[in-house]
Formats: sequence, C-alpha cells, structure tokens
Amino acid sequence: MNKQCFFSQNNIKHVDYKDIELLKKFVNPHARMNGKKKTSVCARSQRQLSEAIKRARYMALMPFVTR
Amino acid sequence: MEKKEASEKKENSKIYEVGYHLVSSIAEENIPAEVSKIKENLLKEGAVIISEDNPKLRPLTYTIKKAFGGVYKKFDKAYFGFIKFELTEGDITKIDSFMKSNESVLRYLVIKTVRENTMFYPKSLSFVEKEVKFKLERSEKAPKVEKAPEKPASIEEIDKSIDELVATGL
Repeated sequence: MNKQCFFSQNNIKHVDYKDIELLKKFVNPHARMNGKKKTSVCARSQRQLSEAIKRARYMALMPFVTR
Repeated sequence: MEKKEASEKKENSKIYEVGYHLVSSIAEENIPAEVSKIKENLLKEGAVIISEDNPKLRPLTYTIKKAFGGVYKKFDKAYFGFIKFELTEGDITKIDSFMKSNESVLRYLVIKTVRENTMFYPKSLSFVEKEVKFKLERSEKAPKVEKAPEKPASIEEIDKSIDELVATGL
C-alpha cells in the first residue's frame, strides 16, 4: 500500500528545523535520515525535510549520530 | 557559521529568522539583556520583528566548544531562542557578522523563511515532554475517530441517492 505524503496530508508547506518532534519521526534510532522510500514523503517535502534535519543537527537540537 | 536559502518565492524573500544558542554560563537574570542587545542590532538595520521566542535552557545533543581568549570552553547546555523578522532595506550580512562577533552567542543560524508559523508541534522545544506526547496521542486518535463515522454515512448516502435516482428513472 502506498502511503500518502505526511506533509501533504497535514498541509505543511515549510518544514521548520526547530520542530524536533516532527523531524524525529523521519530518522532511525541511529539518528540517520530515512530515505524517501521509507518515509514515503513527496520529493519536494523530502528535500525540505533533509535541509531541516541538517539545520537541526548543526544547531545541536538533533544528534548527528547516536550509538 | 551562516546558511542561507535562496530557493524561496519572491514575495517571501525578505523574511529571515535568526536562531541562536546563548552560552549557559550567563545567569538566567541576564538573558533578557542579551536578547535586547540582539534585538537592538536588528532594529538598527531596519528590521521589523514578526515573532520571537525567549531563550530557554535546553540540553545540547552534543558538546560544543567555544574559545574565550584562546581558551576553549565546553558546553552541554545552552539557552535556545529565535527571532523572526522582516528586512526591507537593511543588510543581512551585518546582522550575520554581529551574531558572529557576539561573545555570548555560542552558535547561530540565519535562514530565509515565511511569515506564517512553520511549527507543526509548537511545544516541542519546551521541556514538557509528557504534555507533547499526550497531545500527539490525542491528535493521532482524533482523526481516526472522526473518519470512522464518516465513511458508513457516505455509503448510505450514496445508496439512498442511487435508490432515489432509480425511483425517479422508473
């Protein structure tokens, strides 16, 4: 079953790097980003998502690695 | 220490947001003074502040080093806050260089953004994790409950309308 894009469903047009609870949904336990196949997020949102996660990592709001 | 996004719509091109970590060695009473320094600098450049969040002490996910007069200090905690503002004529590079030269700023990020609120879970930055979880659970449950009664009702409606159509057709 194809899941619909989370961001389109919730009408999120801009992904914020401060929104850690949201970003945490799209990383695995090692704090690596999930690929687009796993997240089933549309291409535009996936690009925004990766940018946001990288910004959150730089600002030490999210870890680069865990374990 | 700067990152700027260029691929935004023209109408939103002048809205910026600066997020910053203030060094945890500052006493909590002196935080508003530090924030007002940053704000003054923004206003000097002709910025119109849209929204802001007062810095709150939060743990960092990794230790950050900052040099004070040639000596490195390590930080595990910092006061994180942000200011969203509109800049019509001022120079963003000046704001950027001010943040860079500010001793009490451990780390900062200047980004282009939009006027609207971009936070989906607004409370994620505070320490009330339980509350967030509770809200998440509710928000996850809520749509399911809403959707369930809708579907059978719609099928019934369709059946009814079909029956009516058949009756009128005959």
